[in-house]
Amino acid sequence: MRTLLDRFVWPMAVPVGLLVLWEVATRALGIRSIILPPPSEIIEVMVTRYDLILTHLWPSLYLTLTGFALSVVGGVLVAVLITTSPLLRKSLYPTIVVSQVVPKISIAPLFVVWFGTGMTSSLMLAVLVAFFPMTINAAMGFQSVDEDILRMARTYMGSRWQIFWKIQMPHALPFIFSGMKISITLAIIGVIVSEFVASQEGIGYLIKFAGGLLDTPLMMAAITALSLTGLVLYWLIAEAERLTVYWQSTSEFGSGGQV
Amino acid sequence: MPSQPNGRTAAASPAPADPLPAPPGPATGTPLVRLSGVRKVFNQLEAIRNISLDIGDGAFVSLLGPSGCGKSTLLMMIAGLVRPTSGEIRVNGEVVTGPRADVGVVFQSPVLLPWRTVLDNVLFPVELLKLSKAKYRERAMELLAMAKLADFAGALPRELSGGMRQRAAICRALIHNPSTLLMDEPFSALDAITRDDMSVELLRIWQANRKTVVFVTHSIREAAFLSDRVLVMGRRPATLVEDITIDLPRPRHIAMTEEESFNGYVRHLRRSIEASHADAP
Repeated sequence: MRTLLDRFVWPMAVPVGLLVLWEVATRALGIRSIILPPPSEIIEVMVTRYDLILTHLWPSLYLTLTGFALSVVGGVLVAVLITTSPLLRKSLYPTIVVSQVVPKISIAPLFVVWFGTGMTSSLMLAVLVAFFPMTINAAMGFQSVDEDILRMARTYMGSRWQIFWKIQMPHALPFIFSGMKISITLAIIGVIVSEFVASQEGIGYLIKFAGGLLDTPLMMAAITALSLTGLVLYWLIAEAERLTVYWQSTSEFGSGGQV
Repeated sequence: MPSQPNGRTAAASPAPADPLPAPPGPATGTPLVRLSGVRKVFNQLEAIRNISLDIGDGAFVSLLGPSGCGKSTLLMMIAGLVRPTSGEIRVNGEVVTGPRADVGVVFQSPVLLPWRTVLDNVLFPVELLKLSKAKYRERAMELLAMAKLADFAGALPRELSGGMRQRAAICRALIHNPSTLLMDEPFSALDAITRDDMSVELLRIWQANRKTVVFVTHSIREAAFLSDRVLVMGRRPATLVEDITIDLPRPRHIAMTEEESFNGYVRHLRRSIEASHADAP
């Protein structure tokens, strides 16, 4: 009973309270829907126009997941290369770290020039923004193994292969999951921004389109659908982490950073 | 298992034919670890100067000295993790050129892998050495039972106390039945009470397995309580200052630390360390 209160009731109290306040305020003050529709109207639009929202949500979701998957696989592979080859570490790692400074979202129009207005552009941007945090987190995980543990393994003549799979890989898992939590959020941002810039479909396009029509309720319904999708994706990763990284208490690693 | 722990006097007993698998017989004077003219230079600074010594089979020997005197480096050289600049180290008659399967090491921290159960941590060397895990499982359980950890075989390290973790680490170092156990200040991270308990436990485990133990410590009491022989090391560059035989009966009990004979050794060791300081420039 107590855990139910702590886990659900208290965390939900603030958002629910805000929604109620929002609803009451917009009605009492007679704020027009075009400026700020009440939550009830947004939900109504989500229900009545669900097919339109879903039609645009699917391509965005597909691109997000593809971009995320490519980032995770590519990021971990590059991290392994950086970890195993001192030459690559010395040459590649500084570039990767410094490239973090570039606001990669600003490259979106350039990608339209290069790859056109289709899905390729969106996918490339998603990978571009989601790839680096993944790489850096995984590399940190592989390289932050306690020197004493490595020494212990060398005492028993552990090979590089054994040390990688039996020590570095499991040690890196919590770092990889932290990277995944950052990457999934960034992949969504990459896709949406790319759809803002030039696209004929996708939830980003729908938001921009509704904005152009001054259809604020539709715009906010699309934003809500997008936010819920992001929430579910994040939650899925957090659950996967909880099951995989069973030796960590969740409180320590429950919150992944956001960039 | 040999029944007579105090076998150092039985010098004529024959050495076992194969030193690795069988626990060594009653301790003899046969040197199992031999250092000749070992010297180590770090960045043109001499850390260890010309150390030569023999450690007998089945003996419990402590390297005693102040922090940073190079005793851990000496131990890591015996373990094959650090190369001497000059000189030679032999274990079981063979020159040490790298880590060896007949040596087990206990480090200052337990360095257990947090994702493995206690049992799987103990079996980790078996895995790395590509031995059959099934064959060693029973031995692992025996060792854990001896270390009073049988009930925690399936637990994760985070569920164990500091002393229990270090006991698990000792089991891990013994799993592949090495002839030599090297211990690098293994109890220094533990509180004083746990430390005394661990000393008694360690002697009990040693009594049952009869490994040659090289134990690095900066605690005079610990060295005197545990050892057959204490090697006092001076600071910078490290040399052997004194080689003292601790002639106290075994098995040893914590109550013995209040006896005059024990305190005599402690006083002697302390004077020896102080004298080595006075010598230093």
